[in-house]
Amino acid sequence: MTEDRSATLISEAKAMRYSRRTVMKRASAMGLSAAALGSVLSATGHAVSAAPNRAPALLQGGSLNMLISTAFVPAAQDFFQEQATTWGEDNSVDVTVDFINWPDLQPRTTSAVQAGAGPDIVELWDTIPYLFSENLVPLPDLAAQAAEVQGGFYDWVVNTAAIDGEWRSIPHGTSSAAIAYRKSYFEQAGVENPEENFPATWEELFEVGRVLKEEVGKPLGQALGQSLGDPPGFCYPYMWSYGSMEVEEDGTTVAFDTDLFREGLEMFVQAWPEAFDETGLGWDDSTNNSAYLSDQISATQNGSSIYLAALDEEGENYNPELAEDTFHAPLPSGPEGQFASLGSRSMGILDYSPNQDEAMAFLEWWFSAEPFQAWLEVFEGYIIPPGPAFIELPVFVEDPKLAPYTDVVNFGRNKGYAGPANLRAAQASSQYVVVNTFAEAVQSGDVGAAIEQGAQMLERIYNR
Amino acid sequence: MVHYDSQGFAMSTLQETRPSERVIVPEVQEGFWTRFQRRESSLAWLFLAPGLLILILFIAYPFGYGIYISMTDAFVGFAERNFIWLENYRRLLDDPIFQKTVRNTFVYGVGTVPFKLALGLGLALVLNQKFRFSRLYRAFLLLPWIVPTAISSLAFLMLFNGVMSPISWVLEDWGVIGGSINFLGDPINAIISLCVANIWRGVPFFGISILAGLQAVPDDLNEAAALDGANAWQRFMAVPGPVIRNTPLIATLFSIIWPFADFQLVYVLTKGGPANSTHIFGTYSYQTLGYTDIGTAAAISLYMFPILSVLAVILLRYVRRD
Repeated sequence: MTEDRSATLISEAKAMRYSRRTVMKRASAMGLSAAALGSVLSATGHAVSAAPNRAPALLQGGSLNMLISTAFVPAAQDFFQEQATTWGEDNSVDVTVDFINWPDLQPRTTSAVQAGAGPDIVELWDTIPYLFSENLVPLPDLAAQAAEVQGGFYDWVVNTAAIDGEWRSIPHGTSSAAIAYRKSYFEQAGVENPEENFPATWEELFEVGRVLKEEVGKPLGQALGQSLGDPPGFCYPYMWSYGSMEVEEDGTTVAFDTDLFREGLEMFVQAWPEAFDETGLGWDDSTNNSAYLSDQISATQNGSSIYLAALDEEGENYNPELAEDTFHAPLPSGPEGQFASLGSRSMGILDYSPNQDEAMAFLEWWFSAEPFQAWLEVFEGYIIPPGPAFIELPVFVEDPKLAPYTDVVNFGRNKGYAGPANLRAAQASSQYVVVNTFAEAVQSGDVGAAIEQGAQMLERIYNR
Repeated sequence: MVHYDSQGFAMSTLQETRPSERVIVPEVQEGFWTRFQRRESSLAWLFLAPGLLILILFIAYPFGYGIYISMTDAFVGFAERNFIWLENYRRLLDDPIFQKTVRNTFVYGVGTVPFKLALGLGLALVLNQKFRFSRLYRAFLLLPWIVPTAISSLAFLMLFNGVMSPISWVLEDWGVIGGSINFLGDPINAIISLCVANIWRGVPFFGISILAGLQAVPDDLNEAAALDGANAWQRFMAVPGPVIRNTPLIATLFSIIWPFADFQLVYVLTKGGPANSTHIFGTYSYQTLGYTDIGTAAAISLYMFPILSVLAVILLRYVRRD
């Protein structure tokens, strides 16, 4: 099997005259091990890097601290804590895990890197590995092992978690986005059989939204605050579907201000007071969940956490009627197509860590099939895996309501598209340039000025 | 050589002394320690040393390093950096978010002062009266001040929730409003909400400062003024007024200075949003540092320095005068 993939890559690389970096990138995507990659590199005339052969670490008495983002599926957070504790006890390592809110993850990592002290393992969101490319321990062997377990990594994973094809963190997938909606409210708004006839375009969705707000009294809800999940989860795809991009393929020419995008954003701004809950400008990743679960809105772009919370018999938001009435639809399309912002989260080891052996040992164990699958299953489909090996697990296929979340892999794009998901894309994302363009346009009503301001900020970031 | 008379007083010159009366004290070679002890300045330096060391290590060095970093294009985690003089400062002047940040900091700091002053003065005057449980109420006055800001900010976050705000519920129930108030999603509402929370937190400082001044005024002065026929306003202006005159001024200066270093309240409530419209220096610097641009983040923070210096000089002058 591995030989076949190696042979395919060798012939592909020779025919296409792949650079060393491209070979490495493709090898990662195909899930080749470090040894197989070495043979491919030498067969294609590229230098083979000396992968460090680590002696088994003596872990007894060591310690390990991890900085991980909070989970919107609380059981999964508890499960990870339990996994870490159990592994620590089995290996006599004192393991601690700090779970922090999504927007604080990156600043905390920045502080740790600047201070040269702090967590040993950090969770990194899409594009963030680029910010710390000089401070993360290279993990080619671990990545190769993980890729083998995952059946290779999807392209959207390689594009966002690897740094120019080099693995300095190990991807573990991401939450994805779809529109969670109340079937009964959409029927009241005149959509017959919403499961089959959910609005296919943004324009159609806004039209239904006007009826939902005016006549049903349950508007659409969209978070537009400065938060990592839902605001960019809506704004980037909407921008792409109206032909706008942060930059061209060269990664430096800003392509944000287009006529089509101006039209699209104008349409959104007009729809905002008529179809949306207007308090959404101040919402973060959790407020739209609360609004939906408290029956204030009829639909919102979100991960599957709303539905899962309503199904959770032990949770405070258990609401079987609401769960039964909740369905999911893929994000609508615009004139330029249908898109989703998709990038993988990953786990990296910071190079200042005195506990690198413990960190590597933990990641090696955690990314092996059994613990990883168990963790994935506790998420009940909220996290989509970074490769195809687990995508057929019952949690992804048993409940047809969750299908739109795995379908996203077919139309996902990385932040920074059409350029690479690099340092600049990470900076633009951290500055919320795209999200704030939407928020600014809604607040001021001046779409042109908001887009121009966004374009200027992107210009400063991408051409600094 | 120094010569002394029989009483031990130093004599001006040798020529003025008769040889028979001369008492020559042999020159004593003083040790370092003796000289050190004799010199007051040495001792002063000795006592100052720990404080100075702490100042140098924890204030002067970081401050100097901050100035250096602000003049570089440094990014956290990247070894390569270039010295770019004042480029970061110049670029910030063109940055619309930074312009909003400066405006917000003044609104947040200066705009809230009249409210804090009026409410603090009112509370102090009420609590200066003698009534049952007055000491308990004085203790309650301090609550907003002593509750950790992060916790009180979370309480305000719930109060100002756009979807489930108890304030909106009550007003809706009374029929005052038709839907939820967009507290934190509208730039103007968000600034007002931040100011309200800031006022709530700041009133106790004004109240307690003024109350302390009021309590220093002897009761008999008030009684004498009352006997002279002065009404309440005249009594206030003539008796405690002059005594507490500088207290509100100092409290005001502190109240303007603190928002420059504030962070928690704004970060918890809005994180600088919506659309970067509520940033103050601290939150904007933090957001910039978040994507590792430590050079610009340092420049944002250091923009406060000249403003704070002026305020600090004014404050110190009044404190000394008091």
